Amino acid sequence: MKRHHAVVRVTHWVNAIALTIMIGSGLRIFNAYPAFARRGETFCCYPFERRPIPASLTFGGWLAGARNWHFAMMWVLALNGLVYLGFIYLHGEWRDLVPRRGIARDAWEMVRFYLTVRKDHPRQGKHNALQRLAYFSMPIVGVVAVVTGIAIWKPVQLSPLTNLLGGYVWARYWHFLAMLALVALTLGHIFMVFTVDPYSIPSMITGKYREDLSPEARNARPFVHLLPAAAGAPPSLHSSSEASRDDVPPRL
Amino acid sequence: MTSPRGSDTPASWVRLAGQTHQAERLGIDRRRFLAASGGALGALFLAACDSQGPRSAQAILKFAEERNEAVERALLSHTSMNVPRRSAKAAGERFPSYFVSRQVPVWDESARGPWRLEVGGMVAKPLQLSLADLGSLPRTGYRLYHFCVEGWTAVAVRTGVRLSDLARAAGADPKARYVDFQSFDDNYHESWDIESAMHPQTLIVYAQDGRYLNPAWGAPARVYSPVKLGYKNTKYLTKIMFMPERNGGYWSDRGYEWYGGV
Repeated sequence: MKRHHAVVRVTHWVNAIALTIMIGSGLRIFNAYPAFARRGETFCCYPFERRPIPASLTFGGWLAGARNWHFAMMWVLALNGLVYLGFIYLHGEWRDLVPRRGIARDAWEMVRFYLTVRKDHPRQGKHNALQRLAYFSMPIVGVVAVVTGIAIWKPVQLSPLTNLLGGYVWARYWHFLAMLALVALTLGHIFMVFTVDPYSIPSMITGKYREDLSPEARNARPFVHLLPAAAGAPPSLHSSSEASRDDVPPRL
Repeated sequence: MTSPRGSDTPASWVRLAGQTHQAERLGIDRRRFLAASGGALGALFLAACDSQGPRSAQAILKFAEERNEAVERALLSHTSMNVPRRSAKAAGERFPSYFVSRQVPVWDESARGPWRLEVGGMVAKPLQLSLADLGSLPRTGYRLYHFCVEGWTAVAVRTGVRLSDLARAAGADPKARYVDFQSFDDNYHESWDIESAMHPQTLIVYAQDGRYLNPAWGAPARVYSPVKLGYKNTKYLTKIMFMPERNGGYWSDRGYEWYGGV
């Protein structure tokens, strides 16, 4: 049994490449006018008006190059996203991602565990509650990024959409914030993969995953218990005498 | 972006862990291989890349531009009008000035004779219009956003003659599919699709915010339409040519999207 279906694995990596290029080229486009204010006005809500993003974080070389990349890769990003969402809807993987009842409490328990307030890893299914929230919000933020992007691409031909978002200036701002949210989610994801569950990397390539090396089995938090047994004997969950069983509702 | 150093990351936690036998038991060799090959691929990508990305991608980007043009043409509607929000302030004197010549292009009457706007190409009655002639044609004005390719917008009232009115006056051939707008700002010109040119908000503008254009804003006349990005809107107009084929443009020939629709 593969941990991730081939469709999920392929769309994951296509998305990783497309998103990187979209963000890099988007930042280069932003640098052509690194501000939100209309000419002759000021903008309330961006503290770094007229300060460009470091060029090393941008992609495309110059404005036209970045725009050409952005407007080519947007199709890859959007169509790949549609394939992914259509697949997880039809194939049932969405059940691993939508928040369940009690997600807030489960997420709080994960936070307590990561902060070492709680000793043993909360029980989880395929993903823990924080992962669920992250992987559930990623496509939502992605849709926001695409819709706000369309609104600033065609503010005249699709003016009802642009107006709905508060006009061109605000739509551009929402597009920027959506990008920031995607960056934050992605960096958090990469950090957790490498510091908590590097064993999941092959599962996103070949699909193979060893459940006995899961973070729950290793009782792993960032940088802690990266290796099983050798790194200092993760407590077997079943020998734990903590009263944590009561914290977690039984699940099927 | 991918950096050659990025490939150290997956390997470093392995080295922290240290023990070979564990590493092997955990199948780390394969991971290390994957990390290394990932890094190598990244390095290859960077090597094949100048600052604009891999050269081989240019054909794909060109293809995407053509597909995008088809989408943009399909989206273009003559009933989609640009109406700035009432709260949007006019840029006024802060409206940016832009030209490609070294200095502000000014029509030198003593050297070139009186300025005339030529309407030609596939037309029944070629026109030579003075500023006064333009002013005597039906006047249309709109308060409009200007959408610059750089991402800024600015509000101004544009007054002039609808290009569709000029086309009718000149008896433009319905078989003309493109219009080229030429200028005396060096060799600046941009050609458009006829559909965008005939949009009711596409104007041959001679006044901005109620005053005749000043040289910084494209005097004596310029084309302006909110359905095109700023760079498509040629200033310092000399000729409007109705044509069977497109003939590029100043920025379109330098890598910017030819269609440039908004």
